[in-house]
Amino acid sequence: METILATMADQLGQMLVILGAALAVGFAGSGSAWGIGIANEAAAGVMTEDPRKFGYALVLLALPGTQGIYGLLVAVLAMQKSGLLGAGGAVLTVWQGLGICFACLPIAISGFYSAIWQGKSSAATILMIAKRPEQIGKAVILPAMCETYAVFGLLVSILMLNGIRL
Amino acid sequence: MSNKEAYGYAVARIRAMEQRLLDAAVFARLLDADDTASILKILGETSYASVLTSVSGDTAFDKILETALHDTYEELDSFVPDKELVSLLRLQYDFSNVKVMLKSIFNVRNGGKKRWDLLTSLASYPVDRLIADIESEDYQLLPFGLNTLFPKCISIWEQNRDVLETERLLDRQMFEVMLKEAEKLAMPEILSWVRTRIDGENIRSLLRLKRFGFDAARAWPFMHEGGKIDLNILVPMISEPFETWGRIVDFSDFSRMLASIDGAASFDDIIMDLERDLDDFYLDSIADSKYSPDAPGNVIAYLWAKEMEVKNIRMIIVSKTNKKDKDQVRRLLRHVYV
Repeated sequence: METILATMADQLGQMLVILGAALAVGFAGSGSAWGIGIANEAAAGVMTEDPRKFGYALVLLALPGTQGIYGLLVAVLAMQKSGLLGAGGAVLTVWQGLGICFACLPIAISGFYSAIWQGKSSAATILMIAKRPEQIGKAVILPAMCETYAVFGLLVSILMLNGIRL
Repeated sequence: MSNKEAYGYAVARIRAMEQRLLDAAVFARLLDADDTASILKILGETSYASVLTSVSGDTAFDKILETALHDTYEELDSFVPDKELVSLLRLQYDFSNVKVMLKSIFNVRNGGKKRWDLLTSLASYPVDRLIADIESEDYQLLPFGLNTLFPKCISIWEQNRDVLETERLLDRQMFEVMLKEAEKLAMPEILSWVRTRIDGENIRSLLRLKRFGFDAARAWPFMHEGGKIDLNILVPMISEPFETWGRIVDFSDFSRMLASIDGAASFDDIIMDLERDLDDFYLDSIADSKYSPDAPGNVIAYLWAKEMEVKNIRMIIVSKTNKKDKDQVRRLLRHVYV
């Protein structure tokens, strides 16, 4: 029992890094998929009537997909920082692992929620281009406002990861 | 997926379909057209082109417009998550068909002819089934509570030959069914719209009854329950001058609309203005849905807009056939949605 606990204590730091990376990819990715799904419904509705709007719709429904990329980026950075991507793999303390795990949370949470709302926003602007395709410029800007907060989450996650000393 | 989210696709498709609705410029051209042939030509440049192939003379216009409307109902029925929402607007045609069937029965018993040519395909209950059910006297198969109401209407007519009473009962049943269906849908904006329609119908009936000299007691049976305005306030309005009706219901959304109608005009003009303003009011009261990408109200707004478009085209065509003044017709046209 003592051996098991000792092994767990040795590897807990790494496990926490893995948890953080999983949360970053999982939540931000799920949010993106959800958001794209919402925008897709609207895009499919418009394209049923007017398939020529595919180009416009594609731009708008791709917007909520960026949060998933941010989540992936932070997960890779966290694993790289902790040495999980290298051959050897660094030994981390529990506090270091916990720090990296927490550093992944800003993009996990902001990515999840901002992608869903961006999807809703994209769906609304897809309706806008259904009637006024010439307004595509404005239609891109409106859902892009939600992106700001995912970018903040990404920025803070990267800054936190850089701030952790190994 | 929640019920509301299910409307994402439907509303987007409807928004794209709105491009097919005729705009004010097309209506201006239709009004300026010299004759029905010119109207046909203009319609050929619009979304009506696909149904115009069936035209064969002036009388075919009704068929064209019915087909266009029928196609719209069928198309929406194919992708709207709640079919009952589309049926809500088709209910008026179901009851219209039942009235036609009833009058055909009365005609035949009086030595006249059946008028099945007046039946419309716009009803949600198929016409051939309706005919089969009624011809075989299988009234229990009729929907919307007509299984008991239809034989009741026949017996009322047999007793006192009162066609008006049978129509009153059918109208009452229609609004009861409409309200019940709207409640079942559990969509606040749809329920609110149906209740607004009931109020509007009550006000319209009240004005018509006032013209025939009815008092409050005699008008009461013609009113429909379920509206937003209390009937105890609404019905006594019949003994007041029309100019004051807006003030009497100043707590309701109808107040401004009623006040905008010229009360000093003749009864005919007031009724025409009221009917036009009510149609526009029904559209305005659901049009706010267009600001929401997943509001079921968009379905009703589109269908009502299409109904009004067809009504406008019909009015213009009839006016051209009867050589009516185009400014007079312009006054009667309903708002264009797009």
